[in-house]
Amino acid sequence: MSAVIETRKLSKWYGNVLGLSDVSLRVEPGITGLLGPNGAGKSTFLKLVTGQLKPSIGRVLIDGQAVRNNTALFGRVGFCPEYDAFYERVTGRQFLTAMLRLCGFDPAETTARAEAALDLVELRADQDRPVRSYSRGMRQRLKFAQAVAHDPDIIILDEPLNGLDPLGKRKVIRLIRDYRTEGRTIIVSSHVLPEIEALTKEIILIHQGKILATGDIHKVRDLIDTHPHIVSITCDRPRDLALRFLKEDDVLSVNFGAAPRTVVVETGNRDRFFGRLPGLLVELGISVEEITSPDDNLQAVFDYLVGK
Amino acid sequence: MTGVEEQSLVLEDIHFAYGPVAALRGVSLTMGSGAIGLLGPNGAGKSTLLRIMLGFLPPHQGRGRVLGYDILTEQTTLRRYVGYMPEDDCLIPGMDAVTFTAFFGELAGMPRAEAMKRAHDVLFYVGLGESRYRLLETYSSGMQQRLKLAQALVHDPRLLFLDEPTSNLDPQGRAEVLDLIVDITSKKDISVLISSHILSDIEYLCSQVVILNKGLVAAQGLLADLRRTRYNLFELKVKGETEGFLRKLQSRGCRPETTEDGLLKVYLPEGLDTMDIIRAAGEEKVQVRQLIKSQTSLEDLFAQTVGVD
Amino acid sequence: MIRDRGYFHWDGAFVERRLPWWPITRQGLRLAFKMKLFKFFFAGSLLPGVVFLAGVYISERLEDFKSMVRGGRVLFLTINPAFFKTYYTIDFLMMALVVLMLFSGAGLIADDLKHNALQLYFARPIRKRDYFLGKAGVLWFFLLILTLVPGLLFILFKLVFSGSFALLRSYPWLPLSVLAESLVLTVFFSLYTLLLSSLSANRRYVSIMIFGVYIFTDVLFGIFYGLVRSPYVALVSIKANLQQVASFLFGQAPAYAVSWVYSILILAAICVASVLVLNRRIKGVTVVR
Repeated sequence: MSAVIETRKLSKWYGNVLGLSDVSLRVEPGITGLLGPNGAGKSTFLKLVTGQLKPSIGRVLIDGQAVRNNTALFGRVGFCPEYDAFYERVTGRQFLTAMLRLCGFDPAETTARAEAALDLVELRADQDRPVRSYSRGMRQRLKFAQAVAHDPDIIILDEPLNGLDPLGKRKVIRLIRDYRTEGRTIIVSSHVLPEIEALTKEIILIHQGKILATGDIHKVRDLIDTHPHIVSITCDRPRDLALRFLKEDDVLSVNFGAAPRTVVVETGNRDRFFGRLPGLLVELGISVEEITSPDDNLQAVFDYLVGK
Repeated sequence: MTGVEEQSLVLEDIHFAYGPVAALRGVSLTMGSGAIGLLGPNGAGKSTLLRIMLGFLPPHQGRGRVLGYDILTEQTTLRRYVGYMPEDDCLIPGMDAVTFTAFFGELAGMPRAEAMKRAHDVLFYVGLGESRYRLLETYSSGMQQRLKLAQALVHDPRLLFLDEPTSNLDPQGRAEVLDLIVDITSKKDISVLISSHILSDIEYLCSQVVILNKGLVAAQGLLADLRRTRYNLFELKVKGETEGFLRKLQSRGCRPETTEDGLLKVYLPEGLDTMDIIRAAGEEKVQVRQLIKSQTSLEDLFAQTVGVD
Repeated sequence: MIRDRGYFHWDGAFVERRLPWWPITRQGLRLAFKMKLFKFFFAGSLLPGVVFLAGVYISERLEDFKSMVRGGRVLFLTINPAFFKTYYTIDFLMMALVVLMLFSGAGLIADDLKHNALQLYFARPIRKRDYFLGKAGVLWFFLLILTLVPGLLFILFKLVFSGSFALLRSYPWLPLSVLAESLVLTVFFSLYTLLLSSLSANRRYVSIMIFGVYIFTDVLFGIFYGLVRSPYVALVSIKANLQQVASFLFGQAPAYAVSWVYSILILAAICVASVLVLNRRIKGVTVVR
């Protein structure tokens, strides 16, 4: 059921324009988020993984086999592209059925799978209307349906939440999470970082054709040692707390002013800082309202790595 | 919400239908200064409402005043003081950014020289200063977005409508546009209405929201009021050996609960406060890396109001 | 003092324009003249005007040019209504008008549709008719330069060179005819172009349509005429209709044995249809789906 995607020294050029340079990584089962600024190479990467492009250097392997021109593997991959590519005049059901037949299923199984997929994305009611009449959200769901209808082990989703309203996003996020629990390998690319955070902690960050970082967001954050960690504490006596912090040598800076009754601290060593904190608070008798780490999120990681 | 200050927008019982299909079935809305978020599922009537507020469409029923101008009788005048940033990318081929922005400034009623001067200023403000002489066809999507904002600002409107201001932007572009919007809304004399599907943006930018559903206002008010803060429930992130810690919390009636995201939900019964949690953590050598009051997220609020179908 | 770097307000005053549509026309003209090819065609389209103007001059100095006149060229050199009618109906001029419309007008509305600029226009305090007037203004500029201006210049030059008002005494209605003919050509071609420009978002298709419809109706006329041999078939061709009307306005015998009234009715019908369709198209865009 599960499959592993592996790339070895993968590079791709378009003439002399760089698409991707020297990418070697493994994508394990589960959800992996793919991020990067525009033009970083995300689409190139996805097209290489689905076998649509031929690598200039290197290989893409799924479970050890090369992807390119390997039609046997294609049946195990589902791709939901960013842009619409429908035959506008057929109905939703006809479109899905056609795609399934292309995968080689017999008519009976095709119908069953098409219906199941349409049920999944809640398009059964509109299945017999032409795609032309579908709204943005419905098109997005139909794209998702064709990506999963043939029960692939690997699902590649390029901006799947684009154009959906918040409820639609919720539904698709739930669908993607359900697939994760079934042990499939899913790559989701998106621009909206909070949405990726809702889905997964594993990320691949691409910038200018190279991989900047891979792995769990929080671990990546920990590895960025050029940017000390920021902790924000809201309490009744922030200045007393700050005074006490100043005595510790892992505290690099102390700031006020962000919000009332709040002190914002930069620390070079989170473990020591947090290890000490409960004792400190009890010792000073400070009543705490809130403790947060404002830069322990994807946007901050992105900013630090891409270098604003 | 608005109190004594002058209201920039007042709508009363607005109805509008496209033939037999009712798009708005009685929407009433007031808005002061600051930023207000307009949310709703697709087809809820947001675009129709926006067009009515801009004076494009006369409502079939109901009245309203935008910036003091009647939406039925003073439609053209009110557009002079309103800026609109549309969702779709727009340009005029063959024009550069300065000409484009100045052109729309002129059409808004600015004298030609003033429009030109203001166009330069506004383009610098949105960050297109370096590329303002380039043809618009060469602009990337991030630059297009800023251009749209520039043309909405050139005539110094008192009310700004932003339709999906951060869609299709990469994370850097999104952050930059959000910062621009924050700066604009910090000026107390300009009202901003933002329609977006990206709830985290709305949470970041707006202090009030209006949720539309099926042509009616499903919820309206200050974000802080609508998102019920459950005063006794906290969400924690901890690190360390948590067994002893959890037992201690349990014994004091805190009913700790670990969610699948790794969060620890803790309830504080009568007589306990956060210090008791911290003390327990210190005793068990557990790091408390996050402690926040549990609050319904905007997403949950949205789902509850609109109804999970 | 240090300048605040954030957002700042504009402290100027709005102005009430007498012609709120003028910036649109100005921009349209600027964009048209940016094209090198267009400038070439524009210069070329002035050629008939220049030639005919020279003809006015020559007609006065007939004796001097007697050596150049080798019998049978009298029509060209007598300045009478026929002279004017000839100018307004020669194929070259008509084609030049169509080509100018193509260059300056194909993208007028089509580009706005394709690039979603209509929303921006209508978020301004301008009315629908200002938008159309502004766009039409671009076309009227070129059309009038090729119709009204030459016509009046011919009259003026004739008066100047002949040193008398003989022309006006013989044909006192001539200036009116010139005005009417210019109006017919200008109004028709501008509405024709705007109609086609609003039908598609692709400026290339519109260019093809502007040129193609004009040629096609004429070709169709030729084909039907070959089959049916009835003069009523001329009503199919836009060019023929325009020529019929020109003949009438200058008191000349029409080229085809069919009343000019039908011609003008057909042209008027196209204009009315254009106005209706334009109204619908723009309404369709500003109202949300």
